[in-house]
Amino acid sequence: MQGDIAPRSGRRVVVIGGGWGGATAAKYVRLHDPSIEVVLIEPNRRFVSCPFSNLVLSGVRTIDSLTFDYGRLRRHGMRVLHETATGVEPSARRVRVGGGYLAYDRLIVAPGVEFQWEQVEGLAAAQERVLHAWKAGPQTVQLARQLQSMDDGGVFVLTVPPAAYRCPPGPYERVCQVAWYLRNAKPRSKVIVLDANQNIVSKAGLFRAAWQAYPNIEYRASNKVVKVDAGAREVTTDFGDRVKYDVVNLIPPQRAGSVAVHADLVGADQRWCEVDHVTYESVKHRGIHVIGDATIGLPVPKSGNVANAMGKICASAVVHLLNGKEPPAMAPGNTCYSWVNDREAIAVVNVYKIDTGKVVQIEQKLTPAPSAAVAQNSLGWAQSIWSDILG
Amino acid sequence: MIYVSLIVVLLLASRAEAGPLDAPGYGKAFTCSACHGFAGNSRAATVPILAGMPAAYLKKALQDYASGKRPSTEMEPYAKMAVHLGVDDVATYFAGQKREPATATALDGAAVARGKTAAAACAGCHGPDGRGDAAKGVPDLRGQPQGYLGNQMLLFKSGRRSPGDKALEEMKTLMKAIPEATLADLAAYFASRQ
Repeated sequence: MQGDIAPRSGRRVVVIGGGWGGATAAKYVRLHDPSIEVVLIEPNRRFVSCPFSNLVLSGVRTIDSLTFDYGRLRRHGMRVLHETATGVEPSARRVRVGGGYLAYDRLIVAPGVEFQWEQVEGLAAAQERVLHAWKAGPQTVQLARQLQSMDDGGVFVLTVPPAAYRCPPGPYERVCQVAWYLRNAKPRSKVIVLDANQNIVSKAGLFRAAWQAYPNIEYRASNKVVKVDAGAREVTTDFGDRVKYDVVNLIPPQRAGSVAVHADLVGADQRWCEVDHVTYESVKHRGIHVIGDATIGLPVPKSGNVANAMGKICASAVVHLLNGKEPPAMAPGNTCYSWVNDREAIAVVNVYKIDTGKVVQIEQKLTPAPSAAVAQNSLGWAQSIWSDILG
Repeated sequence: MIYVSLIVVLLLASRAEAGPLDAPGYGKAFTCSACHGFAGNSRAATVPILAGMPAAYLKKALQDYASGKRPSTEMEPYAKMAVHLGVDDVATYFAGQKREPATATALDGAAVARGKTAAAACAGCHGPDGRGDAAKGVPDLRGQPQGYLGNQMLLFKSGRRSPGDKALEEMKTLMKAIPEATLADLAAYFASRQ
């Protein structure tokens, strides 16, 4: 093995993953204590926002309007390496990158989610045609093209994986956007929703009300898709029902990003990472913190807003620990918007407190109905939080 | 010269260390930045800047949101969180942050000019240029996002901003008397002030 690919000059925090949680954590460590060296490892050169990417499918937003680079983060004096972290050696306190490694004093792992391809028969082999579009980027644009190319009268099948998965209301917002597009552009088409869950996972009442405007939606609860045949254009549910499609959007079951699995940070379920609710330190390996969608055990949704909050809390904890101080007890909050057509949105807000070392929900509140004002607020939220993460 | 530069660098470094994250109250106010921007300096069209606002104003706003007196789905839970953590600490944190005016957005010059004339009606409470009165908890309107100012004035006008709040009767009466187009001009004018 080669040596340290970037020999350190002092105390160093390495962050794996430059998404909503990781990029925030990297920035806030530098803001808290500029004497700490920060290296952020992120394979993608550009950040594409998952929030608002459903609106690319309906043509309401462009992917470019959701795409940012990491240039402004570098101005905080951190190193951003566009590499892939292939492993972690907790005892040696180093991260493997290519043929070398990066040593750390504290490691923050923000790996996002990985898909469990093996859970759906035929999916791994059909990845290029059967799209998830659940990590905003090229697949989002490809799925929009598939939708646009579909004949009027065609059937769009969207499958919802079993909870827990990234962005609980995301599939249902996507159903709204696809149904809105089809209602206008292909009025003889329909959307069939095959949901592995017993009911709509988030904002159920609000989505059901919003769907009144879309007679082209056919929702089937407790329909877990276990097989896809891309040649026959057909999916099969766990009851053996076969559903034909013209375009399918198969959102696969999910687990923590692969580096978390390889680094032995996941629990007995082999899916998610359990952490301390105040410091986000892994319960399995000291000195390694896990944030964002990869975590489990906190009463919070796997959302970008929560990941951003965890990034700030974790940064504060890591800096306190490196300076030999007690980490403060800080609780996250979550604001989550879903657009139900081209101009109206709904929202859910959750706030939390720390009670005897655990995150506990104080309150949840939903908007009463879809409104243009809420949609305008969501634009303000996006502008501010993107800047909070990358600015 | 080198020494002078070094001193300047050291001074800047020590100032950077005592930044917004070191201020008391940061740990109770940090969730707000997702919408209200770093240290309360919103860069969003419809989200208000909190940095440098009078503590008394912020405290009343949080208490009113928390109790539902000032209705907002998004703000009610967060205000309850602030009340749970200590509303004075959160209000004092934002009041103590340096206001950083947004980079000039394209404001309509004619609307700003019309708004300047119309702003005479606001001067009694908010001062001649909208700077407010911290001691009385009257907010500083200068440099607030145009969208936010416009939305709030419309809420006052339609009776949906803090219904039943007697302390704001004068404001509601005034907003009802001013046509919507003039309210938009006022929003442009106060947004243009620094």
